[in-house]
Amino acid sequence: MGITLRKGVFSRLPSLKGVASTPDQRAELMLGALAVGSLVLIGFMIAFVMGEAWPSFANNGFFKWFGWGGNTDQQLEGIFNSPGDPASYVYEIRTFPLLYGTILITGGAVIIATVLSVLSAVFIVEFAPEALRRALEPIVKLLAAVPSVIYGLIGVLVIVPFFDQVFITEGAKESVQYVIQLTGSNITVAVFILTIMIAPIMIAIVVNALNSVPDSWSQGAIALGVNRWRAMWTVVVRAARPAIVAAAVLATARALGEAIMLSMVSGSVSFSPNPLDGLIFFLEPARPYAPAIVENSEGLTIPPFGQTIYAFAAVLLFSAGMLSFAGWFIRQKLRKYTLTPT
Amino acid sequence: MEKLNTPPPVRRISPDKKSKPAKPSSTTAASKRNGKVSVKTGRSRPKVESIERMRTVDLGIAYGGKSAVNGVSLQIKKGEVLALIGPSGCGKTTYLRSLNLLVEQTPTATRTGKIMLDGEDVDKLELTELRRKVGMVFQQPNPFPMSIFDNIAYGIRERGSRKPTRRVLKPFVEEALDRANLLEEVKDNLSHPALRLSGGQQQRLCIARSLAVEPEVLLLDEPCSALDPRSTAAIEDLVLKLRSEIAIVIVTHNMQQAQRVADRVAFMYLGDLVEEGTVTQVFDKPQQKRTRDYVSGDFG
Repeated sequence: MGITLRKGVFSRLPSLKGVASTPDQRAELMLGALAVGSLVLIGFMIAFVMGEAWPSFANNGFFKWFGWGGNTDQQLEGIFNSPGDPASYVYEIRTFPLLYGTILITGGAVIIATVLSVLSAVFIVEFAPEALRRALEPIVKLLAAVPSVIYGLIGVLVIVPFFDQVFITEGAKESVQYVIQLTGSNITVAVFILTIMIAPIMIAIVVNALNSVPDSWSQGAIALGVNRWRAMWTVVVRAARPAIVAAAVLATARALGEAIMLSMVSGSVSFSPNPLDGLIFFLEPARPYAPAIVENSEGLTIPPFGQTIYAFAAVLLFSAGMLSFAGWFIRQKLRKYTLTPT
Repeated sequence: MEKLNTPPPVRRISPDKKSKPAKPSSTTAASKRNGKVSVKTGRSRPKVESIERMRTVDLGIAYGGKSAVNGVSLQIKKGEVLALIGPSGCGKTTYLRSLNLLVEQTPTATRTGKIMLDGEDVDKLELTELRRKVGMVFQQPNPFPMSIFDNIAYGIRERGSRKPTRRVLKPFVEEALDRANLLEEVKDNLSHPALRLSGGQQQRLCIARSLAVEPEVLLLDEPCSALDPRSTAAIEDLVLKLRSEIAIVIVTHNMQQAQRVADRVAFMYLGDLVEEGTVTQVFDKPQQKRTRDYVSGDFG
């Protein structure tokens, strides 16, 4: 009590006296201000993006904006070339192919990565020999930090040509030639690379979670005559479900926002891959929202075009928010039995 | 009771139950005591015919060449409680954990000698089968992060590939809870999280969880060391109630507890079995000097 700073900025702020006289109180005030500041900043950002995006939604109608009809790429071009007079701005766009592409690629990658990461984490924690485990854990953490553009490069230089030469036959090209051109950039490559990109961070989170499950629980299961494999699944992985959900949410957020890599390998055509095409479905291109933003960033200064791109961003922002909320909600549900007496 | 789709648990306790004088007497003893524990007299302990369930012959356990248990030969019988006493690190917990081969989870552990269950070498049994027949309760209560019901049903569900429904399981769950003297307290809250129970209730839940798979032998590894005196008394009552149904081995630091619940006592020191006998033999007329020193409180 009564300690005052002789030097520095705080000693010159008389209004802080009384309110923040101890170092603890000053620290609390500082951190509180920083936290509130960042919240306000995020609030402004959301408000700004939503405000900018509003004309695009309003002129199309909210549901029609997400609907289908026409060619999204041509519609974007129409907006880009709209007349300079604000009264005759063109806004018409139907973004269903982008929405569908986002769901398809993100969803596919997250589902595959979740299964993959839980299996790998179980292996690393419970079944891998000590030496292997010690090697794997840092490698996984290293992989989680690789910049996505590197994955994109490998994708565009190695995997896309490989698909083009091996899987895309003349017959396949001809069968859809009036609808779409198959180039080797397609949803399978996109999902594949995105999975590789998001799986390491998920593995790292799930490994941590499995390690932090008390050993006494699996011991208890084993003492009941359950083998290690079953004990792992029915008790340890079960107890780690909140962390698995958290990992999936984080990975989904990362996948949703992944722009550069997807722009390099997903084909960059606003096309809705059609499951009715059979196996060729997997060779068809798509274009999620995030790469659509990057690829169209050169036209942002044209007001209606900029607003349309902001609308894409607003969708991503909103989905990320919803995702966090859904993740929080599911974790609360799952934690019901893990809570110790309060 | 409905038929289970899975191999039904062996129901050999029902005939025992009718001819079981232990239950009423032990509960009255508990109520008379009113929390105060009279050390020497303990609870009334009816004579039950004792049948050998397990036997170790010259059992030795070593961790990476360092011996933890040396040549221990003991018999474990249904109808009498065997208490293992001794100072910390004397190998009593290791011995206990070797009886259901849990010790072999540790990669460096090696075993010599024989462990027999009902006259058969345990190495001839499937590991999971052995562990269902030899249940274990740990020092710290370790209920799973599930509901009370799911905790008890866990062992039954895991024994078959087809999972019986909740309705089919319910009588088995309730019976296990009843045998563990817990049913009265939780019967209306079976879907509550098991981790919300008190420590003593959690430990009885763990005992019930073991009982649900119908073990022949129950291993208790210092089951009361994390509990208050009241909960300890509840567990001790339970042990005395169960002794006529299954063989019980209890590891304890607490010599009064050994006198209260055990019929036979084995004193271990530095991995050796020093002395083994009835409670009176070991506590009142110990043959070995080390036993005498330990039970009189000279070290430990």
